[in-house]
Amino acid sequence: MPQLMPFYFVNQISFTFLVLLSLIFVLSKYILPYFVYLFVTRFYITVLN
Amino acid sequence: MSHLLHKKPHTTLSRILPKFIQLWVSEKKTVSSLQAFRKRHGDAQRIHGTLASQPTTVDFAHYRSVLKNQAIVDEAEKLLKDFKPKTYDVSSHIKAIDQFEEKAVSKAEATAAEIDVELKALQATLANIEEARPFEDLTLEDVRKAHPQIAETVKTMVSKGKWTVPGYKEKFGDLNIM
Repeated sequence: MPQLMPFYFVNQISFTFLVLLSLIFVLSKYILPYFVYLFVTRFYITVLN
Repeated sequence: MSHLLHKKPHTTLSRILPKFIQLWVSEKKTVSSLQAFRKRHGDAQRIHGTLASQPTTVDFAHYRSVLKNQAIVDEAEKLLKDFKPKTYDVSSHIKAIDQFEEKAVSKAEATAAEIDVELKALQATLANIEEARPFEDLTLEDVRKAHPQIAETVKTMVSKGKWTVPGYKEKFGDLNIM
């Protein structure tokens, strides 16, 4: 049934969004702040030096 | 940089040092009072020794043979026989001495205990200093422990959407390919 074709992609679309959201969350919450933290610390301790 | 590594020892040291000086002074006082007491004791012992070594008997037979006036020798002997040393009540003195001793001992014990505590703290500080790792081995965790305000700064930066550190690229270069 060709009219049902778009619905065959619902599974893929929902998983894509889920993965995207979780990636954004993990990156913005844990991974990227770690790098900022590393840079700030590096900067700070060399400023002290 | 070393003062970052030694932050903890320094703060401990600055906390300990005035107390240690105070303790040092009080210990010196204790030692000087102890020395004074020892000197007094030594003097008293010496005087007692010299007095105890002197003879306490009088040879009346010798005086009787030497002196013509026998009556005066008899009188002297009688006086000596009748002489009774006056007794004093020394319990108050002994009590005072006991109190002094008790006080001195308690003070010395307190000083010793305090010194023990301070010594332990100083040894901990020394161990802290000795175990401090070189700058090369410093980890992010160490810095986080020493300066928790960095984490706060990062939190504020991230919440404001600032993902770069101004001046970082100039100082450390840029590894970005794109």
